[in-house]
Amino acid sequence: MSPWEALALLLLLATGALVVTLRNAIHAALALILNFLVLAGVYVGLDARFLGFIQVIVYAGAIVVLFLFVIMLLFAAQGEVGFDPLVRSKPLAALLALGVALALFSGLWGLNLAFTKDLQGGLPQALGPLLYGDWLFVLLAVGFLLMAATVVAVALVQPTRPLDALRPEERKEEKEVVR
Amino acid sequence: MNYPLDPYWMAALKALLVVVGLLTAFAFMTLIERRLLARFQIRMGPNRVGPLGLFQPIADAIKSIFKEDLVVERADKVIFVLAPLIGVVFALLAFGAIPFGPPGSFFGFQPWVLNLDLGLLYLFAVSEMAIYGIFLAGWASGSKYSLLGSLRSSASLISYELGLGIALLSPVLLVGSLNLNDIVNWQQEHGWLALYAFPAFLVYMIAALAEAARTPFDLPEAEQELVGGYHTEYSSIKWALFQMTEYIHFITASALIPTLFLGGWTMPFWNVPYLWMFLKIAFFLFFFIWIRATWFRLRYDQLLRFGWGFLFPVALVWFLVTALVVALDLPRSYLLYLSLATLLVLLGAVMYSPKPVRKGGGA
Repeated sequence: MSPWEALALLLLLATGALVVTLRNAIHAALALILNFLVLAGVYVGLDARFLGFIQVIVYAGAIVVLFLFVIMLLFAAQGEVGFDPLVRSKPLAALLALGVALALFSGLWGLNLAFTKDLQGGLPQALGPLLYGDWLFVLLAVGFLLMAATVVAVALVQPTRPLDALRPEERKEEKEVVR
Repeated sequence: MNYPLDPYWMAALKALLVVVGLLTAFAFMTLIERRLLARFQIRMGPNRVGPLGLFQPIADAIKSIFKEDLVVERADKVIFVLAPLIGVVFALLAFGAIPFGPPGSFFGFQPWVLNLDLGLLYLFAVSEMAIYGIFLAGWASGSKYSLLGSLRSSASLISYELGLGIALLSPVLLVGSLNLNDIVNWQQEHGWLALYAFPAFLVYMIAALAEAARTPFDLPEAEQELVGGYHTEYSSIKWALFQMTEYIHFITASALIPTLFLGGWTMPFWNVPYLWMFLKIAFFLFFFIWIRATWFRLRYDQLLRFGWGFLFPVALVWFLVTALVVALDLPRSYLLYLSLATLLVLLGAVMYSPKPVRKGGGA
C-alpha cells in the first residue's frame, strides 16, 4: 500500500465516520462532501477521470446541495430530534454494517478483473461508445428506474386539492366582497 | 491533440500570477463598475480619492480590513468563517483553465495554468462547489434573511446550471472534445461557435449571468426584500471576500463566453495572442455592467420559470438539432443557416410590439 492509498483510505474512513457521528446534520453533510471529494480523487488516481469529475459534479455538487436544501428548509439541523422510535438500535446497526462490509469483502475476494478495453484513462471519447453501445440497455434501465422513482415521489406528495384553492370559509368571504 | 507541458515551478508561478491578477482586476472592477453605473445614471461616481478616483479600491481595501469584524451570537462559528473562504477558493480555481494564446506564447511557456482533457467538466465541478460558499454563509449566520437569501441563490444556481450545461453540449458535440484548447483551435479552423450555435450562445450567456448573480438575476441579495441576502451578518474583510467571489465569478464568466463561443484568443485577422482575449473580456465586462444599469431585477418565481420554462427547453432543442446534424453527418453549414434563422426570429420578436389592448370595462 503506497502512502497515497493509505492517506485516501484513512480520509475516507474518517469522513465516513464523521458523517454518521456528527450531531449537526449540516456538519454531517459537509463531511459527506469531503468524503465524495476524496472518492473523486481516488477515481482520478485509478485512471477513471470522467467518473471522478462526475462524482464531484453530481454527488458532491448537486445531490448534497439538495440534502442541505431540505435540512435548511425544515430547520432539521439540530441533533436532538425528540422521541426516538428505535430504542437501543445502535448495536443492531453496527452488526448490520459489519455484515454488509463482510459481504462486500467476500465479493472482492474471488473477483478477477481483467481490462480488455483501452479506456484512454477514462476519457468520455472512449467511454461513450461503450456506454451507448454494449451497455445501452443497462443504461436505459437505470434511467427508467430513476424516472419511475421520481414519478412515484411526485405522486406521493400530490396534495388532495390545489395548493392555491380557497378554503370553504375563505370562499364565503370572497362572495361577500364581490357582491 | 497533445499539448506541451510546463515544469511544476512554472505552473505554480502562473497560478500565482492568475490569483494576483484576478484580485487586482477585482479591486479595479469595483471602481470601473461604479464609475460606469454613475455615467449611465448621469452622475459623477467616486472621483475623490486620487486622480479620477483611481485610488478608491485601495481606500476601500483599507477600510474593509480595519473595520470591526463581527461574528454574531447565533452563528455557527466554524462554518461562518469557513464559508467566505470556500467561496473565494473555488471561484479562483476556475480561471486557470482558460487559454490566452497558442502553446509557447508565454515567454516560451504555455499561456494557461491547467490544460485538462476534461476542461469543461472541471469548470463545472469547480463552479458547483463554489455554490457552497454562499449556501453555507446564509445558514451559518443564524438569521432568517440570510437563510432565505442562500436558499434562493442555491435554488436559482442549480436551476440555471442545467441550462448552462445543456447549452454547452452542442459546441462539445461539434468539436468532439471537452478540452478548452481544442475548442479554441476548432474555432480557428472552422469559424466561431456562436455562428454554429447561436441559441446555445444566448442561453449560455444568460445562464452565465445568472451563475454570476448579476443584476437581472441578483435575487440572493435583493436588498429591498432581504436586507443584504446571504451576507447580511457579515462585516469587514469577510464581507469583502464575498464581493471578491462575486466579481471573480463575473470576470471568469466574461472570459469563458468568448473562449467557448467567440474564438477565444484567436481572430480571423491580425491574430495576436492575449490582445483579443483581453479585449473580448473587457467587452463582456462592459456589456454586463450595461445590462445592470438598464434592466430591473426579476421576481423570484419569474426567475425560476424563465430558467426551467424557457432556457432549459431552448438549450435542449438546440442540442437535439445539433445531435441530428452530427449523427446523420449532414453538412455543418445547415447549423449556420438555422442559427441565422433563430437570430431573425429573435429580432422579429424584439421588434414586434402589438398595440396594447385595454383591459377591463369600456371607455
